[in-house]
Amino acid sequence: MVENIRIGVFVCDCGSNIAGVVNVPDVVDYARGLDHVVLADEGRWSCSVDYLSKMQDLIKEHQINRVVVASCTPRTHEPLFKRTVKEAGVNPYLLEFVSIREQVSWVHMQEPEIATEKAKDLVKMGVAKAALLEEGQEIRLPVKTDCLIIGGGMAGMSAALNVADQGFNAVLVEKEPQLGGIMNQLCFISHDHYKSPAAILVESKAAQVHAHPNVTVYTDTHLETVEGYIGNYRVTLKPNGDGSSGNIDVSTVVVATGMQELEPEGQFLYGDDPRVVTQLQLDRMLRDKAVQDVKSVVIINCVNSKNETRGCCSIGCHTSVKNAIALKTLHKNASVQILYRDLSMVKEEGDALEKAKKIGIKFLRFPDDRYPVVATENKNLIVQVFDLLIGKEFKLPADLVVLTTAFKGDETVEHIKGLLKVSSNADGFFQESHVKLGPLEFPADGISLCGCAKAPMTFKESCEAGTGAAMKVSIPMKRGYVEAEGIVADIDLANCNQCSICWKRCPYSAIKVDAEKNPEVIKALCKGCGLCAADCPKECISIVHYSDEQVMAQVEAALEDDPDRKIIGFVCHWCALGGVDMAGVSRLQYPSNARLIRVMCSARVSIKMMQHAFDLGAAGVLVAGCEFPTCHYITGNYAAEKRIKRTKSKLAKAGYDPERLWNIWCSAADGPKFAGTMREMVKELNLK
Amino acid sequence: MSDAILVIGGGIAGINCAMNVAKYGTKVYLVDDTASIGGMMARLDKTFPTNDCSICIEAPQMYDVDNHENIKILTNTEVRKVKKVNGEFQVRLVTKPKFVDEEKCTGCGACVEACPVSVPDEMDGKIGGKRKLVSMAFPQAVPNVVSVDPACRHGEMRKAGACIGDCKVDCSQCRECPIALCVMACEKEGKKAITHWQSSKNMKIDVKSIVVATGITDAKPVGDLLGYDVYKNVITNAQFERLMNAGGPTAGEIIRPSDSKHAKKIAWIQCAGRGLAEGKGTPYCSKICCMISTKQTIITKEHDPAVETTVFYNDLKAYGKGFWEFYRKAVDNGVDYVRARPYEVFEDPETKNLTLKYEDLESGELEIKEVELLVLASGIISNKRNKKLAKVLKLELDHLGFFKEKNPLTAPLETKVDGIYLCGGATGPIDIAESVVQASAAAMLALQNNLQVKS
Ligand SMILES: Cc1cc2nc3c(=O)[nH]c(=O)nc-3n(C[C@H](O)[C@H](O)[C@H](O)COP(=O)(O)OP(=O)(O)OC[C@H]3O[C@@H](n4cnc5c(N)ncnc54)[C@H](O)[C@@H]3O)c2cc1C
Repeated sequence: MVENIRIGVFVCDCGSNIAGVVNVPDVVDYARGLDHVVLADEGRWSCSVDYLSKMQDLIKEHQINRVVVASCTPRTHEPLFKRTVKEAGVNPYLLEFVSIREQVSWVHMQEPEIATEKAKDLVKMGVAKAALLEEGQEIRLPVKTDCLIIGGGMAGMSAALNVADQGFNAVLVEKEPQLGGIMNQLCFISHDHYKSPAAILVESKAAQVHAHPNVTVYTDTHLETVEGYIGNYRVTLKPNGDGSSGNIDVSTVVVATGMQELEPEGQFLYGDDPRVVTQLQLDRMLRDKAVQDVKSVVIINCVNSKNETRGCCSIGCHTSVKNAIALKTLHKNASVQILYRDLSMVKEEGDALEKAKKIGIKFLRFPDDRYPVVATENKNLIVQVFDLLIGKEFKLPADLVVLTTAFKGDETVEHIKGLLKVSSNADGFFQESHVKLGPLEFPADGISLCGCAKAPMTFKESCEAGTGAAMKVSIPMKRGYVEAEGIVADIDLANCNQCSICWKRCPYSAIKVDAEKNPEVIKALCKGCGLCAADCPKECISIVHYSDEQVMAQVEAALEDDPDRKIIGFVCHWCALGGVDMAGVSRLQYPSNARLIRVMCSARVSIKMMQHAFDLGAAGVLVAGCEFPTCHYITGNYAAEKRIKRTKSKLAKAGYDPERLWNIWCSAADGPKFAGTMREMVKELNLK
Repeated sequence: MSDAILVIGGGIAGINCAMNVAKYGTKVYLVDDTASIGGMMARLDKTFPTNDCSICIEAPQMYDVDNHENIKILTNTEVRKVKKVNGEFQVRLVTKPKFVDEEKCTGCGACVEACPVSVPDEMDGKIGGKRKLVSMAFPQAVPNVVSVDPACRHGEMRKAGACIGDCKVDCSQCRECPIALCVMACEKEGKKAITHWQSSKNMKIDVKSIVVATGITDAKPVGDLLGYDVYKNVITNAQFERLMNAGGPTAGEIIRPSDSKHAKKIAWIQCAGRGLAEGKGTPYCSKICCMISTKQTIITKEHDPAVETTVFYNDLKAYGKGFWEFYRKAVDNGVDYVRARPYEVFEDPETKNLTLKYEDLESGELEIKEVELLVLASGIISNKRNKKLAKVLKLELDHLGFFKEKNPLTAPLETKVDGIYLCGGATGPIDIAESVVQASAAAMLALQNNLQVKS
């Protein structure tokens, strides 16, 4: 069926914000003459309730089936117009948004004629794209209520209990015979000991877990395989030792595999002299009341931390002070000294520090590049240390040396990483999806991360993270589905050569392959960045709402007249367009040569698109993405940057000057950067 | 009865808490007593330890919250009274007038342009940011509407040029204003969004759980601490953050207040006011200032590698994932870290440069250093409105003014009132990622409570 395309164009005055510069009636007239346009209308305030209902009436009256709105910016107003057209019976993916306020009237205030011409161009581009738009819809994937939790420490147990309390099923897998993790080895967990014996805290939590009807606990068990994705994971568990493996099906996963001490083998006599122990070993000794008759304890902080390869261990200062207080409390006459580089004690931890000083624990600072040396003299342990503040070296006799060591992820991390297709850093700590705003998540939906599996953290922080991770996995379980916006990838296998680029590069593991390596998009997991489509050598991937055809149509419409004075700008929806909008809001004036085309991510822009613009005679091309390291699709801008390099050499080969292809990485706050780039481009390219 | 949750505070913690609850399928009231949600993060330039642009990552979340059908955002709104009945909370809210009809205002800014009176922007402090008497909190504000300074009514700013002509009518009585320039500009645009006669609105809601996410405040140095009150070129790190922000009052130019010249030698003083008694300084370690300054030095060097940057510090707090690496990046970029105890600052009256006297902790020597701009890391303190709110909620504050947890070890983020939870800066100095984790946890706790409290 060939659909009869009927486009309605709605141009907004925005009071005088647009109409004060752009000749809107002229733009409306122009729009009426464009192919497929059956109606063009001017609205004083398109976003007002009155006009929105008028718009709906017009859509129905004229049987409009594609809508172009030319007004402010899609970043704030697209949802409103999407809702409006939807209510009028038009699929919201058939709406195209054209920005003539932020991109025209606010930035070319002194040039009304040029501004009007640019607005017409933008409307023409919008109409060209609208004619090719296809319906889209939100895609759902069913999610049931079973959650696998890997690791039974405090974080994992907190997650399990929170999942189970909602009536969902938690399956808790622990490789050790006992739940509790590191806490099982600790004596106390804060300096006010009697309030916080570790054993009591961990036992009461474990008891709750074991007693909960909705939690199934597998201890002494490891994870053999995990297959699938949110909503349908098939997990194989195998008991340690002889038992045979069994399968379970779950919908979501929480990773809570904790951490281990990095044992300082061969350093500070550790491993050679039994009187040199780690903090965790000391904690165990304290718990077992095995510290006897100590007269002099020397604690060395920052062992293997804060150097070229590793950062701060996060909890060492706190741990050293806590255990020093325990030692000093048990052995009042003993000397307890902490050798440190920086003391990192915050808020209430500061109280612990005060207390430690009060009861006679001594603190001595050594230089970053001059660590203490542990040696034996006549079988006695001696710690040689340079006191930075006094500027002198001391020899401290010790009958116990405690090393505050760094940590690493659990030894199973390598295995689990492969199973879940997630990544970790060099120390085996899992990499969260976004350092600031995605601390409990992985890029793939349905898998959450918590506790020391992410980075060393305190008991309290682990419990909070476990609860937070339960929140994350509970959302799809409560709703019964995950949903993706309809802007997703679509693979046409007819041309596919099974090269594997798409599924290997997908940042969200949203493309699966069958035995023949035929890729298939799991649409509910796809975020629509378009990286795969732009990289596909066979051009068999299309992105709904940002197909090659649609983008090319915009390029062609833009370059129909005077291509030699025009710049085609591909801008990512998130930051770059934010920068464009900011330039607009700030009324920064810049030359009007650019015709901007919105893409979700700069990684969507293919070599073909860039080259097409030059083939049609464009004076220049600009690709604008998020400033590093920000990217709403994790690493799309990095991919775009690489591709731009490749495009430049291709352009050179094709006889174009590669210097006409520009790129900027622009934050959403950086209007001046965008405006400046425009000025610079126009100058460098010698445009009028 | 209602199954809703009230989130107090619309910073990054409140936003994330609300979003989790809403996605779960439960209704949320997200209340903030300022004109926009966004909190501290909306003022920041970049965020450590990745240098992600702050508003770039926060604004999309703000728009999501704004567009979510389960979330009702109430700005300029205070929680006045809370009564617990049968396990549920009856809450009385008061929305202070913005003197703008939020339904009608489109944020077009015509009124802002028309307003002839600029006043100092509290957000920017000493670095001289200005805002109009009618203004938008910041360009990405949600809701995206302006508000009129309450001081600008009853013709009180007439002398400054805000209104023209004479008027003796009480604004609250009058339904049209022929004299205010903002009103006229709005009418010229064909709207009648500015309503000087608006009064406070009361609202009663019933909720099952409450999450307190009222955030942190940057401490202002007291008196002439290290020259803050007396010398123009001594500013706080929060002000410096605005200075380097492309969206800030100087469009990201790092220029000093005295002469608007680019500062070529800048020093940061960590723990400024630390250890001084309450009311005089920040008596404790605020945990994130070392990374804030590290970030600021790196960004400064990005703007201009030739700028000389020195950080005077004592203990370096590089406690989180990637923080130490971030510090090393600063050092690699040429930032000078000096372990020192600064004790006095002098200004050269001619150049307005500052000479800092300090004790070098490594050499034990007394040294001096001359800089063009001095930045004080004056610490993170509790929100001053916490006191009032604690009273309304019947919660306790700790001696530093942060909300007290019931038991940090066994019941983190819970309070002594069942059904009220905490997250983010309301619990103490905290960074963004930790706030987001707590926000998810608090959302979970609140939802669990909702499940337990049977209607
Ligand atoms: C100068 C500076 C630089 C920083 N840089 C970084 C950085 O680079 N990286 C990083 O991770 N962190 C940084 N931080 C810390 C970061 O700002 C905080 O971690 C984060 O903003 C805390 O979020 P929040 O939501 O808890 O609080 P806030 O952002 O403070 O938000 C609290 C909100 O609650 C509202 N509110 C308060 N009281 C009430 C009430 N009674 N009723 C209703 N509403 C109320 C406020 O108006 C505000 O909107 C920085 C902080 C400062 C000061």
